[in-house]
Amino acid sequence: MKNILVRLAKRIFAGIIMVLVMASFTFFLVRMMPGNPVSAKYNELIMRGMTPVQAMDEVRVMYGFIPHQPLWQQYLHYLVQILHLNLGTSISYEGVPVLHIILDAAPWTIILVTTGLIASFIVGVLAGVIAAVKRSSPTGNAITLSGSIMHGIPQFVMGLFLAYVFTTLWAILPFGAPYNAALTPGFNGPFISSLVRHAILPVATYALSSYGGWLLTMKSSVITVLGDDFILASEVRGIKAKTRVRYIAHNAILPLFTIFALSIGFMFGGSLFIEDIFDYPGLGNLLLHAIDARDYPLMSGAFLLITVAVIVANIFADFLYSVVDPRIRR
Amino acid sequence: MSAEWPLKANTKAVGITIRDLEVVYSTGQGQVPAVNGVDLDIAGGQITGIIGESGSGKSTLAMAIMNAVPHPGRIVKGSVVVDGVGNMLTLDKESQRRARGRNLGFVFQAAQNSLNPLTRVGHQVLDLGRSHNVKDLRGLLRRAKELLHRMGMDADRVLTAYQHELSGGMRQRVGIMFALVLDAQVVILDEPTTALDMLSQASVLEIVRSIHEERDITTILITHDMGVVADLADRVVVMYGGELAEEGETAEVLAHPAHPYTKGLIQAIPRISGDLSQAVALSGSPPDLKTFMQSGCLFYDRCPERVAECQVKRPPYESAGPERKVACFRVMPHD
Ligand SMILES: Nc1ncnc2c1ncn2[C@@H]1O[C@H](COP(=O)(O)OP(=O)(O)OP(=O)(O)O)[C@@H](O)[C@H]1O
Ligand SMILES: [Mg+2]
Repeated sequence: MKNILVRLAKRIFAGIIMVLVMASFTFFLVRMMPGNPVSAKYNELIMRGMTPVQAMDEVRVMYGFIPHQPLWQQYLHYLVQILHLNLGTSISYEGVPVLHIILDAAPWTIILVTTGLIASFIVGVLAGVIAAVKRSSPTGNAITLSGSIMHGIPQFVMGLFLAYVFTTLWAILPFGAPYNAALTPGFNGPFISSLVRHAILPVATYALSSYGGWLLTMKSSVITVLGDDFILASEVRGIKAKTRVRYIAHNAILPLFTIFALSIGFMFGGSLFIEDIFDYPGLGNLLLHAIDARDYPLMSGAFLLITVAVIVANIFADFLYSVVDPRIRR
Repeated sequence: MSAEWPLKANTKAVGITIRDLEVVYSTGQGQVPAVNGVDLDIAGGQITGIIGESGSGKSTLAMAIMNAVPHPGRIVKGSVVVDGVGNMLTLDKESQRRARGRNLGFVFQAAQNSLNPLTRVGHQVLDLGRSHNVKDLRGLLRRAKELLHRMGMDADRVLTAYQHELSGGMRQRVGIMFALVLDAQVVILDEPTTALDMLSQASVLEIVRSIHEERDITTILITHDMGVVADLADRVVVMYGGELAEEGETAEVLAHPAHPYTKGLIQAIPRISGDLSQAVALSGSPPDLKTFMQSGCLFYDRCPERVAECQVKRPPYESAGPERKVACFRVMPHD
């Protein structure tokens, strides 16, 4: 256990370094942009008739540093701000702190993607085990085929297709917007049911388009494990089928943990196509908007969030590994 | 036979009767007949050594006895009747499973990797016990410890260890423990000592022998090593190219090998044939797909005693004296 903690501490330390590196990278990237957005904004404010002091104050609030200071001072300033979770204020939503905007959008994406991810993971992994065990039967082939097809359909095609079938052809589900705007948001029955009904299609789109990936990965992992000596050995020892399936599944699922954790990390990049099609106010739409509006503070905030999320997810996956795989626990 | 029976009447030793057994592997190059028309009686209560070059089909034969030939292998025909169990090849799946492990203990050639890497050895002993409805699981663990201890290991440490924490030789001995812990009446050991140094090898073989004697079980010992057979086996079976070449009592076969292949095997081992300078390696290479297609004797290309007949006909596997069978045209039944 002590080893695990030491290992975890090392990973967290490395993670912090990586976040800092990434933050610095974003900083310099924004500074190096053609037409340096920081001084552009500053000039724009001057033109609008602000005094240089006012303009500088404004820009400092926006970006977290003072444009005319030497670069290294700006940089230090910026890092200190980040450590205080101050990501600056948005340009397009004038005056609103970036952190607020991101925190507003995050729950939509988190609910959407987590539900879809977990559903597709569970179904895909189970189907993958069956597809592997019955790989020479029609059932197995049919399951594999379903995975390949789902995997091959682009997310936006899947989304549009589902939207067409269930909101136009059958019109049994609502389309667009995360909930019925006529209802008062809150913890009441009608609102929650509206929320759920609006979430069904986007979640289903996400789940269906990631199902194939889980299925195919799990299938090949199971097939690899099936060829391992210890599986044959357990057969020859007359181990019960149930126990053997447990052995197989346990060994085969390990490689999928990393992918799962990474998917959770990348979820903070949002699901662009899905959020766009179903008009979901999540992180994907937010990032799209930030890029559209050249809202650099918002953009770097969103990138920073993705970075942190991926790194945290990685550390989590690593930790999980060292708990479930004794060979790593050293 | 009948004269001997009263002496053995009180034994519960289990014999195995193999008839016309055929196993093929489907490969890209064609169908490899790894076991081809084998008829063999494994005598209950004895140690039978199976010997032959690499690729002669020893492991495949052993796996076929368990009816567990791995893909792409396939048992084409034949029967394997285990006394008190039935024909392993036609038994229903559940009875087969129960016979494996409970009646037939098996030590893998790849015993180093015969454990689930993710669970402790002790836990896997319990899995084995539960799979075979052992009521007294504590007693089972005690048996396991005792066996490990006898094989010179720190039993407590081994039972709480994961596979990767054990050395190759330790894993192999753990594999042997798994085959013995349920008191199977038949134990099949496929090269149980390949990963061991000479000393551990001797001690493991000694344990195999003493457990064999204590429990009056039937032991099948597969090996490349004629020396091991000479030390341990009551009977020896010589395999060549998926077929049986010769079998008989060990002392008889070693003293008077009848098949030219057996002679070659014995001459290749200085420990038995005398001094090192007299050791003669067997020339030529084991049969390949082309050889299998030929109608003549599989050993024809390498045989120092071949005659014209050998090229056109496969010699039948026939009795050549009491308890003795040989597949060679050049052998005159002696006595
Ligand atoms: N999985 C497989 N696929 C194809 N051919 C195989 C497979 N396993 C074994 N064979 C073939 O079957 C034949 C017998 O192999 P087997 O493993 O039974 O030999 P063996 O006598 O146990 O050899 P060794 O002493 O090296 O263990 C060989 O010709 C081998 O090439
Ligand atoms: Mg072998």
